[in-house]
Formats: sequence, C-alpha cells, structure tokens
Amino acid sequence: MHSSLVRIQNVFGYFTSVAFAVAAAVAVSVLLSSQTPSASLELKNVQVVKGRPHYYSTKREEYAHVKFDLDAGMRLAFPQPPPSKLTHPDLTSLFNWNTKQIFMYITASYPSTSPSIPPSEAVIWDAIIPSDHAPFHPNTYIHPTSKTPPKSKSKSKSKGKPYPEGASAGIVKLSNQKPKYQITDVSGKIAERENATLSLHWNVQPWVGALVWTNTKSYGRWSGLKGGADKFDFPSLKGSETIKKEDLKTETGAEKNRGSPA
Amino acid sequence: MFSSLASLQPRQLAAQVLNFALVLSTAFMLWKGLSVFTNSSSPIVVVLSGSMEPAFERGDLLFLWNRGMDTQVGEIVVYNVRGKDIPIVHRVVRRFGGGSAPLQLLTKGDNNAADDTELYARGQDYLERSKDVVGSVVGYVPFVGYVTILLSEYPWLKTAMLGFMALTVVLQRE
Repeated sequence: MHSSLVRIQNVFGYFTSVAFAVAAAVAVSVLLSSQTPSASLELKNVQVVKGRPHYYSTKREEYAHVKFDLDAGMRLAFPQPPPSKLTHPDLTSLFNWNTKQIFMYITASYPSTSPSIPPSEAVIWDAIIPSDHAPFHPNTYIHPTSKTPPKSKSKSKSKGKPYPEGASAGIVKLSNQKPKYQITDVSGKIAERENATLSLHWNVQPWVGALVWTNTKSYGRWSGLKGGADKFDFPSLKGSETIKKEDLKTETGAEKNRGSPA
Repeated sequence: MFSSLASLQPRQLAAQVLNFALVLSTAFMLWKGLSVFTNSSSPIVVVLSGSMEPAFERGDLLFLWNRGMDTQVGEIVVYNVRGKDIPIVHRVVRRFGGGSAPLQLLTKGDNNAADDTELYARGQDYLERSKDVVGSVVGYVPFVGYVTILLSEYPWLKTAMLGFMALTVVLQRE
C-alpha cells in the first residue's frame, strides 16, 4: 500500500505540474498573436422621453433611446486603404487560440454636471460572440440576417450564427439597430446634455489566463482599435404625442433563453 | 497503525505536529499575503452560479484585483450584497460619480435578463465601489474550483479530507 500510494502521489503531482505549466504557457502566448481591430459606429437616432423604471414605480425619469449603425472592421495592411477596399470589416483578429468568447458592448458616455466628476457611462447594447470552438450555449448572439424570419409555425430550430452569412466570428454588421437598454441618468434628467459619445468596446474571455478589454493604444503586436466612436448631443425632451411607440422598443438579448433570472 | 504511533518518541510526535501546523500556517499566510497584495478581502473566488454563462461556469476560479478604484463599465466585479455574505460576480453596466463623488455602479449578469437592481438591498439602487465591491476580475482558470463547491455541498467530504491529510502527515516518517 505504501509504494502504490507514493506512485499515485507522484503521478498526480506530475499531472498537476504539467497542467499548470501548459495553462501558463497558453495564457502568456496570447501576447504573440497579432490583433488589428477596427470598427465604424454611427448614431442613427436619439430621442428623450419621460418614462418609468418599471410599471409600479412612481418615479418619472427621462429616458434616452438611441439607435445606431455598427460595422466592426479590420484594418488592412495599407495605412490609407481606399474606401472600396474595406470589404469585410470584422473583429476576427481578436479571436486567437485562447479566446473562448468576446463580449462586445456599446456604451454611451456623457459628462456629468460637475467638473470634478468624470463622465457617466451606460451600456446600451451588448452581444456575446463565441469562438467557433466553444461548445454551444443558448446565451450567445444571433446575428440578424437580411432575410426576415418567417412568422408562423416554421419550427426552425436552426441556431442562427453570431456573424453574417459567409463571414466568420467577429464580423458584425448592424443597421439601424435598436438598443437593448435605455439610458437614464441618476438625477433623472438626460435631455439636452452635450458632448456625449457612443463607443464600441469588447472584453475577450480566454480559455485560461487574463481577461482583456478594449485597447485604443497599440502594444507590440496588438494594434489599438481604429474608429468605433461617435459623438452626439442629447436632444430636448419630446412630448409623448410625437413619438411612435415602436421607436422606443428595445431589443431583447439572448439571455431571455434562460427563463427567470437567478 | 497505533503501534507505529506508539513507537514514536514524544519529540518526534511533537515535530510532526509542528510540521503540520507549519504547513497550515504557511498556506494561511500565503492567502493573507495575496489579500494584501491585491487589496481584496478575498482575492481568489469560485463562481457559484450560472448567471455569467457562458463566460464563467460554476466551479471556475477567478483572480481579483482591488486596486483599480476607477472601475469602468464592462469590467466584471465581485460584490457582496449589503447585509449578506454571498459574493456575486457580475458585469458593470452603468457608472456614475467618481472623482470627488463616490463611484456608483450598476451591475448585471450576462445570463440574466434584468440588471441587479432586484438583488441589491432594499432601498439600494447602486453599488458603491469603495464599500460593496470585493474586487475586479483580472484572470480566470476554468473548472479548478469545483472542489470547493463539492466541499460546501457535501460537508462530510471536508472532514474526510482533513482527516486523511492529517493521517498521512502523521504516519509519514519524514
């Protein structure tokens, strides 16, 4: 019993050492992959209306509803590519061997009323783009396709892809996209605020190792994000008669597949 | 087994006990040292729920860093609900304040349809970065933490493991 116990201990110890070394190597090797992300983000429409946080709330706050166009782009080798060459923009270069998924999100940030307080920021849209090697999970993004989905009983359990047809993970093309969340300020007033910025960010979730967020500066092989921001001002409060209800609809994300929150 | 214990002289037995205590206290000091280095009360946490799937599954190990007090939107923070001791790992979706005012955050799990307003204490609409947040996630190792989930769900495993470890340390002659 003594010798077999020692053997088992040795094997287990060796296994853990090797596993740890491999994980560390994978985590560090990410620095060697080259990344060239770029995107073009454009605000399409913004309106501010009065609303309530939820049905029974007595607070009446101002909500800003933003629509946008997103084209996640890849910078080509030439520093000034002519517009006709920007064919398939994407964030595909962010997907390396250690990427499990990318959490893309678009935020709206606006300055606060006091100069000593930094700008406030809120996420208006997010999507989880899994790597092709990741096992399927219902909470992943399904890219809208140009074909309108048939409304009735087609039991298409066809899992939509998180990227448009013919593309690969990281390419996102959205036009006049509705947000997932509406923006409200903690003070309840957001109308007529100036110098707001809509910007694209991402969070790379690895298989093992450090989590990485958006970089606008370049670090070695990792180029910074080019583009992906748009400046705007919040308009004044609109009366409820002039707003179409459908303009205020938000899009529900893939989290709804889960049922009640835990 | 008891014959081997009886044959140990008191000095050897005392040395073994001291050895055991040294192992325990080294582990404890490493943990506390890491706590000080990261400025977090709990620098390594295990994911307990599936509210951040598919990024984090139950049993994943997360490394926290609590020295970045200017938490940005999109960072993943671990926080305690006021009055309760359950750590929750969710992503920051809104921030207000900072600078001269206390930084306030709103969080939401990736796999939850709604943000965390319902999870906070009654009357609390936002988290305060300095008070409620234990740390921000900087690194992650999958699946390794599932042992702690097993230990907490099957308490007899804890006593069994400790007993086994104590036995092997005492019975080894070196």
